Amino acid sequence: MNPEKPQLTIGWLYPTLMSTYGDRGNVICLQQRAQWRGIEVAVIPLDQTASTAAFENIDLLVGGGAQDRQQEIVMRDLRGAKAEAIRHQIAGGTPGVFTCGAPQLLGHYYEPALGQRIEGLGLFDFVSKHPGPDARRCIGNVVFQLTASRLAADLTKTLGQPPIIIGFENHGGRTYLGEVEALGKVIKGYGNNGEDGMEGAFYGNAIATYSHGPILPKNPFLADWLIQTALTQKYQQSITLSPLDDTLAMQARTAMFKRLGFDGK
Amino acid sequence: MAIKIQWADRLRLSLAVLAANTIAAMVRVLRLGAASVLPGTIASRIHPRALALLASQAQGGVVLIVGTNGKTTTSALLKTILERQEWRVAHNAAGANLENGLITALLANTSFTGKLNADSIILEVDENVLPKVLPQIQPQYILALNLFRDQLDRYGEVDIISQRWQKAIAPLPAATTIILNADDPTLGYLGQKLTQKVVFFGLNEPENYLDEIPHAVDSIYCPSCGHPLTYQGVYLSHLGDFHCPSCGFKRGDLAVNSSEWPQILIGLYNKYNTLAAGLTALEMGIAKPIILEAIKNFQAAFGRAEELEVAGKKVRIMLAKNPVGMNETIRTVNEINRDRPSPTTLMILNDRTPDGTDVSWIWDVDTEKLAAKGGTIVVSGDRVYDLALRLNYSQQPEHPFQLIVKEELSEAIATALEYTPPGQTLHILPTYSAMLEVRGLLSGRQIL
Ligand SMILES: [Zn+2]
Repeated sequence: MNPEKPQLTIGWLYPTLMSTYGDRGNVICLQQRAQWRGIEVAVIPLDQTASTAAFENIDLLVGGGAQDRQQEIVMRDLRGAKAEAIRHQIAGGTPGVFTCGAPQLLGHYYEPALGQRIEGLGLFDFVSKHPGPDARRCIGNVVFQLTASRLAADLTKTLGQPPIIIGFENHGGRTYLGEVEALGKVIKGYGNNGEDGMEGAFYGNAIATYSHGPILPKNPFLADWLIQTALTQKYQQSITLSPLDDTLAMQARTAMFKRLGFDGK
Repeated sequence: MAIKIQWADRLRLSLAVLAANTIAAMVRVLRLGAASVLPGTIASRIHPRALALLASQAQGGVVLIVGTNGKTTTSALLKTILERQEWRVAHNAAGANLENGLITALLANTSFTGKLNADSIILEVDENVLPKVLPQIQPQYILALNLFRDQLDRYGEVDIISQRWQKAIAPLPAATTIILNADDPTLGYLGQKLTQKVVFFGLNEPENYLDEIPHAVDSIYCPSCGHPLTYQGVYLSHLGDFHCPSCGFKRGDLAVNSSEWPQILIGLYNKYNTLAAGLTALEMGIAKPIILEAIKNFQAAFGRAEELEVAGKKVRIMLAKNPVGMNETIRTVNEINRDRPSPTTLMILNDRTPDGTDVSWIWDVDTEKLAAKGGTIVVSGDRVYDLALRLNYSQQPEHPFQLIVKEELSEAIATALEYTPPGQTLHILPTYSAMLEVRGLLSGRQIL
């Protein structure tokens, strides 16, 4: 792989506020998969104590789920220059994976179960609403096919078949897409709102999804796509990653597909 | 408090008791399982106020115990203390902490005329069920141990649970005593919002502070104003001596001096459990010397930290059902194995209803700390590959360990025993339903 000593800086959005559903697993997964290939990794917490410069110098962004109150604290901090930095990064093609609460803050707004509407960054053209404290949460194992055009094309080429994502969803809020492209088409589960059969959103090189589990360890091809895209962006040349032994991930997928009565093809 | 039970009510109640207990006996004889909840289901069908009518008869009072971790150990200890005072105690020992489990526990101590044969009642109550049972039972004591993230698929979020508790407790009489963990900011805030008598237990042992706040933490922000809390020190997860630099919210005054108290079992969380039961007993009017005697004689509660001897090797089962519980268990296991070069651990992850169907929490656990000890880690359970994946990503080049994946639990146990050096202890870390399976296998000796 070129360049000789690749280095990857992962920006982790508000690790202590947005980490409700094991989403740290995405950071661990990206970090290990890069390090196993000899790529040097720095994980930078992007939180209240981080400077705007830290928000600007990131190769890959990760954001996780939050409780409603924590989400409010995040949005109080993520304003002005910090918000502008994130906006600039994502619009410029910095890859990212945002799960659960994180996509809500990337959309226009989120209306929580109790309390006031939380304004988002408005980067993704969607809105999220919680139908109320007594509404059923969307909970369960989720399977969807990646359909976001460029991402699906890349991964179909790598895998030799359409990419199927497996995860677990657990969200009270419902998301409704505007003009933005959906990430995938639900095969099992609720997806964005349990109504339109769509899951997540894809904009630039950023993935927004309700699927945690966390999403990357059991869908390692997605993790590698993010790493590869980040390095390609950074070094402005085509980068190929060496393969890793993903037997355990494949066994975990097979076990869950079998349980859901689905062959995973 | 002393509710007069009308005779018609009494008749219907005794009918309910009779039917329920008969069926319970049949279930046991026929080994159908579910004996810990079925009678409750039947009794409440026949008499919808069965729970209220049974609970109201306890002259020594009703104690409800809630919290994410430690309910079973704490209630078992409190029961031991009260029995040392020669009280007769009704208690839901089997961890059946949903509504029908509570009724079933009381039915086991009820004569066929509907008379409760107990002086006091200790019920461990599921976090979500508390608001449902409070209007029926008027407890004299509510003990809240802690609030961690646990089974988010069923419960929703920590803040929401605490708000629901507050609403449910608010209508109770002012004389109700609420015993709370002062070191848990969410519970401290709850205490401030209540008009009832509130007393706090907590630790004052700075020598047990953690070096850093672990990742699996829910509440390091002020529940009152949202500003990050400042900790003098953290004992485990978000439990510690905290204050809010913005609004002045701080840890409540402790009613007990923890450094003067002994503890049951190993692990810091058991110190919390000891203080919780101890303070509740004090509030119930039990003299301190009796409490201390009971603590000394306490035996391990149902599987929580059980020590067995299997095939000449020592086995310790330690329930690990959520990130905080598992982090603490790993901390304890590592302490025990401090001078042992290659320990063996068996971890079992199930995702059935009592475990929680969402297993993503394993990524919030610092399994890296267990992996860093080296040795052998055997994994099993319904979600064995998810657990294996978590451990595979816990590798650190400078601390190699051996990972063994066994789908079949009996095989996993046998393998783990094989790898355990003679004279050392095999630590088994199961989720709830896995713990029951392990106990079944080990007590039946089916693996040998
Ligand atoms: Zn405050």
